[in-house]
Amino acid sequence: MGWWPFGSSEQDGVKKTSGGAFESPSRTNRAKCYEARDAFFECLDRNDILDSINTKDGRATARNACGQEDVIFEKNCAHSWVEYFKKQRVVNYQKEQTIKRIEAEGGEIVAPQLPTRGSS
Amino acid sequence: MASPCNCIAGTVRSLRPMIAPRTEPIFLRFAARRTLVHSRASGTAMVARKLGSKAAVSVSRAKIQCLDSGSTAGGVWRGSRAFSFSAPRSKLKTIQQVWARNKGGPFNITAAVIFVGTAGALWAYFTYEKERMARKRIAEQTKGIGKPKVGGPFQLVDQDGLSFTSEDMKGKYSLVYFGFSHCPDICPDELDKMALMYEKVKEKCGDVLLPIMISCDPARDSPAVLKEYLQEFHPDIIGLTGDYEQIKETCKAYRVYFSTPPNVKLGQDYLVDHSIYFYLMDPEGDFVEAIGRNFTAEQAAKVISDHIKDWQGPLKKKDRWA
Repeated sequence: MGWWPFGSSEQDGVKKTSGGAFESPSRTNRAKCYEARDAFFECLDRNDILDSINTKDGRATARNACGQEDVIFEKNCAHSWVEYFKKQRVVNYQKEQTIKRIEAEGGEIVAPQLPTRGSS
Repeated sequence: MASPCNCIAGTVRSLRPMIAPRTEPIFLRFAARRTLVHSRASGTAMVARKLGSKAAVSVSRAKIQCLDSGSTAGGVWRGSRAFSFSAPRSKLKTIQQVWARNKGGPFNITAAVIFVGTAGALWAYFTYEKERMARKRIAEQTKGIGKPKVGGPFQLVDQDGLSFTSEDMKGKYSLVYFGFSHCPDICPDELDKMALMYEKVKEKCGDVLLPIMISCDPARDSPAVLKEYLQEFHPDIIGLTGDYEQIKETCKAYRVYFSTPPNVKLGQDYLVDHSIYFYLMDPEGDFVEAIGRNFTAEQAAKVISDHIKDWQGPLKKKDRWA
């Protein structure tokens, strides 16, 4: 371990650099992070909170309801990952809603992609 | 139905005394082959149907005579019955029985099987050819004239610290993926998929594919980091890195969106946005096809294997270091 000359001195959670990044984003560390993320999101679901990052109000509600899960989440993931996942939760929800709306209107979802066999 | 047949039967009957016994085997052979004739020319079914009944009448007459005379024609008769599954015609004594037997017309089980079989074979062949032409078109389309549109020369280092250039990709197909080890969720999933794809292609086509992962994050992804990182996905994946400018140029050549900050501090925490396509490159280093995230490992492996099978030129089966 330790390609970086300095690391954090935290005893629990994954080893991180001073900047809050993973020292080693190995499979085990990733699994731990995903687990902490899922626990945090489950708590948000229970409390009916969607956005825990983009608005001041959302951040406060999330901190009050799921403060402990949030701390574990931060401990087990790189800080950039935490932000990414929190934002992704909102984006994924909006995407789901859009797809549902389009399908309810009878439209069809076609993912944009490069020309492949049969489509060109 | 009855009257034309009667006419024909009458004609045949009246002709019969004139036909010499020597000519009978010809009639017999004609009758035995008619199933084949019908199966090939279904468009002329009606004409053939009339001919068929005419022939059948002649046959029954001829057969009766064969039985009566016990001539050598009987041997020919047995020998040419290989295609028939119905009741032996020797049982048909009267013209009514012959009509009853031929009520179904020229369509029987043998004709149906041959027809469906031929149609199936033709369909399979044309489908295969159509797919092959489509693949060829994609491969040709993407093969730029002169300067390649995607891909190009680069000089980087692999996870063992050894130099790796675009020349090292030649002679084998390569599957190029851009990623970085600090990627939260998409790259690890895609690299797992890459390992599966690689295994499947190797199983089908042999060792003719190089799985390559080029880091978009040269500041953090040193050869040592890549070595440890990629080991968890597949030991055969070649991890490439370099300095900021080299990586930027390579990304540009492959038309990959590149957003890595140029001057990062040691230990800094950031994410890199990048394109998430697999680029399939042919043994001459030309771009063939991009494989997106919507492909499963199975589908992607099929696309790659099919392109490899289409390749006419030489393919290196040995390792590049061997």
